[in-house]
Amino acid sequence: MLEIKDLHASIEDMQILKGLNLTVNPGEVHAIMGPNGSGKSTLASVLAGREDYEVTNGSISFMGEDLLEMEPDERALAGIFLAFQYPVELPGVSMSNFLKQAINAKREHLGQDPITAAEFMKLMKEKAELVHLNPDLKRRSVNEGFSGGEKKRNEIFQMALLEPQLAILDETDSGLDIDALRIVSDGVNQLRSADRGFVVITHYQRLLDYIVPDIVHVLLDGRIVRSGDKDLALQLEEKGYDWIKDDVLV
Amino acid sequence: MSQSDTDFLQEVADSDYKYGFVTDIEADTVPKGLNEAVIRLISEKKEEPEWMLERRLKAFRHWLTLQEKDKYPRWAHIKYPDVDFQNISYYSAPNNKPKYESLDEVDPELLETFSKLGISLEEQKRLTGVAVDIVMDSVSVATTFSDQLAELGIIFCSFGEAVEKHPELIKKYMGSVVPYTDNFYACLNSAVFSDGSFCYIPKGVRCPMELSTYFRINEAGTGQFERTLIIAEEGSYVSYLEGCTAPMRDENQMHAAIVEIIAHKDAEVKYSTIQNWYPGNEEGKGGIYNFVTKRGICAGDNAKISWTQLETGSAITWKYPSVILKGDHSVGEFYSVAFTKGKQQADTGTKMIHLGKNTRSTIISKGISAGNSQNSYRGLVKVNAKAEGARNFSQCDSMLLGDRCGAHTFPYLEIENPTAQVEHEATTSKVGEDQIFYCNQRGIGEEEAIKLIVNGFCKDILAKLPMEFAIEAQKLLAIELEGSVG
Amino acid sequence: MTTIESPHRVEDRISELYSMLDGHTLNGNSAALKNLRKKAIEAFAAQGLPTRKTEAWKYTPVEKKLSVDHTVYHENRPLPLSKEEAHAFLVPGIDAYLAVTVNGKYIAELSNIEGLPNGTVFTPIDQASGSLGDLLVSRLDTQSDSSKSPFVALNTAFLKDGLVLHVPAKVHVDKPIYVLHLFDTDAHTIVQPRMLCVAERESEVTLIEQYVSLNEASHFINVVSEWAVSQQATFKHYQIQDLNTASTAVFNQYAYQEQHSYFATHTSTLKGGLIRNNLEIVPDAEECESHLLGFLLGSGTMHVDNHTLVDHKKPNCFSNELYKNILDDQSTGVFNGKVFVHQDAQKINAYQSNKSITLTNKARMYSKPELEIYADDVRCSHGATTGQLDAEALFYLRSRGLSQKQARSILLKAFAHDVIDAIEFEPLRDYVDSRLLESL
Repeated sequence: MLEIKDLHASIEDMQILKGLNLTVNPGEVHAIMGPNGSGKSTLASVLAGREDYEVTNGSISFMGEDLLEMEPDERALAGIFLAFQYPVELPGVSMSNFLKQAINAKREHLGQDPITAAEFMKLMKEKAELVHLNPDLKRRSVNEGFSGGEKKRNEIFQMALLEPQLAILDETDSGLDIDALRIVSDGVNQLRSADRGFVVITHYQRLLDYIVPDIVHVLLDGRIVRSGDKDLALQLEEKGYDWIKDDVLV
Repeated sequence: MSQSDTDFLQEVADSDYKYGFVTDIEADTVPKGLNEAVIRLISEKKEEPEWMLERRLKAFRHWLTLQEKDKYPRWAHIKYPDVDFQNISYYSAPNNKPKYESLDEVDPELLETFSKLGISLEEQKRLTGVAVDIVMDSVSVATTFSDQLAELGIIFCSFGEAVEKHPELIKKYMGSVVPYTDNFYACLNSAVFSDGSFCYIPKGVRCPMELSTYFRINEAGTGQFERTLIIAEEGSYVSYLEGCTAPMRDENQMHAAIVEIIAHKDAEVKYSTIQNWYPGNEEGKGGIYNFVTKRGICAGDNAKISWTQLETGSAITWKYPSVILKGDHSVGEFYSVAFTKGKQQADTGTKMIHLGKNTRSTIISKGISAGNSQNSYRGLVKVNAKAEGARNFSQCDSMLLGDRCGAHTFPYLEIENPTAQVEHEATTSKVGEDQIFYCNQRGIGEEEAIKLIVNGFCKDILAKLPMEFAIEAQKLLAIELEGSVG
Repeated sequence: MTTIESPHRVEDRISELYSMLDGHTLNGNSAALKNLRKKAIEAFAAQGLPTRKTEAWKYTPVEKKLSVDHTVYHENRPLPLSKEEAHAFLVPGIDAYLAVTVNGKYIAELSNIEGLPNGTVFTPIDQASGSLGDLLVSRLDTQSDSSKSPFVALNTAFLKDGLVLHVPAKVHVDKPIYVLHLFDTDAHTIVQPRMLCVAERESEVTLIEQYVSLNEASHFINVVSEWAVSQQATFKHYQIQDLNTASTAVFNQYAYQEQHSYFATHTSTLKGGLIRNNLEIVPDAEECESHLLGFLLGSGTMHVDNHTLVDHKKPNCFSNELYKNILDDQSTGVFNGKVFVHQDAQKINAYQSNKSITLTNKARMYSKPELEIYADDVRCSHGATTGQLDAEALFYLRSRGLSQKQARSILLKAFAHDVIDAIEFEPLRDYVDSRLLESL
């Protein structure tokens, strides 16, 4: 469903991605690991269409369409979901109003009628349980005053509501304690399905104990330098990134 | 910001005024110009008693001295050509004089006008239970629910009617909060005021419905000089709504109203306004000049006056709804959203004058500027030397949509008592790109995202408005209000 | 001296004094200076003094402090004190290049500026020689503007004894330059110190100024300082205002910043009569950083008005303003700070904060923090609070066995600590701290 070819991207004239290739098929969970500054978050941002990043070369096709030609909201409607590393606060904008608009945008895109109030409430309740989110959060402003863990759970909650084709988790594990990590991972695992792809971006192997990936990629200096099964992550954990660096240099 | 983002802002800034149409009613207009003869004529047409004429003339004579001394106010952060006061007609009334038994007798075209504005009386009566006193140009043309209110001893009528039927109350309270010497425009109003509303809530009565008035300016070149007087006796409560829309005009129209509120011991008055007068065309031509003096006094202990306003219209807004906190433990509140676009200029805020002990005031002001507009907050918090234990909290936030507009904050804090706790905070920001991106990522387009975020910015204030007003507010801001779901 | 008939207006009196002194006492100045002075007196006459109806002077009745009995200080009185006596006023423990002025005039025998680094010039303006002198004279009144301020005009019209500091490019002045300004005049005398500082590109300099009255006479001190901070230069300024209670002082201080420059000014107002600080900062290029700090210790009938403007003309700048006032007795504090962001001056971060504590029923605080913003991509905020010492906190401390006085001083120190701690020189910081403690 996702095919990235020779992707080069820069921010403020600094080249971050330097020829990245990646193919994700429906049902697959890909983990992308790498040290700080290797380009992990840049990849997430480029996929979601953040403006600050400039794609200087390469292509991304998503479900047969040229993703790079699409606006951020068009990408979202096409089925790409980014769980933000730093979810943004929207003061005064209630969760329910925000999510209702998001759901209705999607339904409109699919030629469906807007969701009814009753359906919406039922859906909210059902999905909130998935990540043990306090139903009161719905009345609060989006991410405002949320704890770090609540913010991350809120991202997964939104993912569950919007049912994307491809979910990108950008360091969703950062700042989570073990309980929160388990809750978030459980949520993600329940959303795994044969027609949904995942790209899980993380610095640490720990998350992959809970969200078990099909394929692990190591990102170094803007390129995927090695791919393997979940054991690759364990090796990395044991030997550190320097091991790969040395290996690659050799 | 992206291209489409900017386009949307441009669109908002350029969007036409939806309520611009002219009602074709024969009007009874006094010729342009201002002199004693005109004032006598206004008074005569309104069949006023002699004492009222005397009051008008006294104010007029004082106004002439202000003109001579060049006391024309120029301090606000607004620019406009001097008003030619001799080129304004000071009185106009719909020709079919009111005094109807029921709405059926009202000129159908007039009713049609109100229905176009979405404020059909019939519907309002039926659905909302709001008593409506409509000021069409200068004279009240319909009053509803007065019987129901009369049973409780509440007086809600046109100002003219009150002059006739309740002279003792008018004599006692008119000018007691805003004297004719107060400022240039208040003085002018005191001389030439046309009509307005009068509201009296007797001791211990809680007014069971929102009292509502719609003002409109409808006669080309006609100035409007309403006067509103609200008296809340001991232990009473009233919520009063004022909403405005005005038809499109080519020449500037001036509006200089006075609102006076007196809240006695333990009384509470909530005054809510939506102001959406014609702001002028893209070049700022033809909009309303709005110079209003609104002031309330918490005359007795534990009294409370609360102003809530949504200001979206007028070419120029000059308006500072204020509270004099005279009674001990009295409370003053000011909640405001001012949205400007195009070439609009707004200089608005409040004055909280703390005189009594343990008085409290809260000011929350949200300014949103778009296009080439200028949006200023100007507010005074004064704590008198004898006002022990006064508290004030002020928050003034500005949001800028576009890079050709201005947002300004001019707070004055005058503290003469050491026990005062006064806090003022202000911020200026724009809609964050990261916020828009976050919404985009959830499938919400630029336009909707900006609406959501701006709406969130104003939410605290809009929530203070009574429900039906909140709906109007939603229309005016072109923002979807927080849904009832959840 | 010819006797002159007493005119009705102060402005007329000043103009007469100008005519009287021009060509005599003020002689010896260059033609350029003469021309500058002439324009200034015209500008002064055209503007007149502010009144209470002047918005910017609303809370400060300065016009009452000048009368037709006033004269402009012009004679050269014999030195009123010895070097030791003068140096006794200095804040102890500061290693600095020292300059002492009396009534605005530099006194070499009380000073020691030996060893200033290469090419650094610090001298009375009429002694600045050659092309540098011409250059400096040509820069006078370019940051300040006589046509916009009657007090700048008044100072410029009688300009004679000004000081200039010129720090050449890339020079780091190793020690602060410390200027002690002493005032010793008869009553009703206008004294007008003047200073121009130019920090050329990539230079670094710190200036400490201390203003002290030597007697109790009602001098009217009218200071004009201009500070030009060139590209990548760093200019730090500290001043201590410590004047007598009969005095009136108007400080007119202007900073102009070029690209990537750093400017900081810190004013401690410890004593005086009526003091008005007009401070204007113009960051006129990108990447400028500006800090404005002030600490006011109000006592007696002091009236201190801090009036500041940060005029952001270019994008990507940062400014921070913090003024803290402690108002005791019948003192009055005024703060009127404005942050102005011009159109297209995007990405400005500007912060302004004014906090005051009033300790008595008679103390007054008037605060007017303003933002005037014409660019959308900015982060600006301001805050102002006025209140008294937290009664709960006082009680808590006393319940732990502290006296009322101890408790008060702990809380006041805590209140003032951030603005006092911003003083980088420990001896200076300790000095201000000790003055705060003394006052309690």
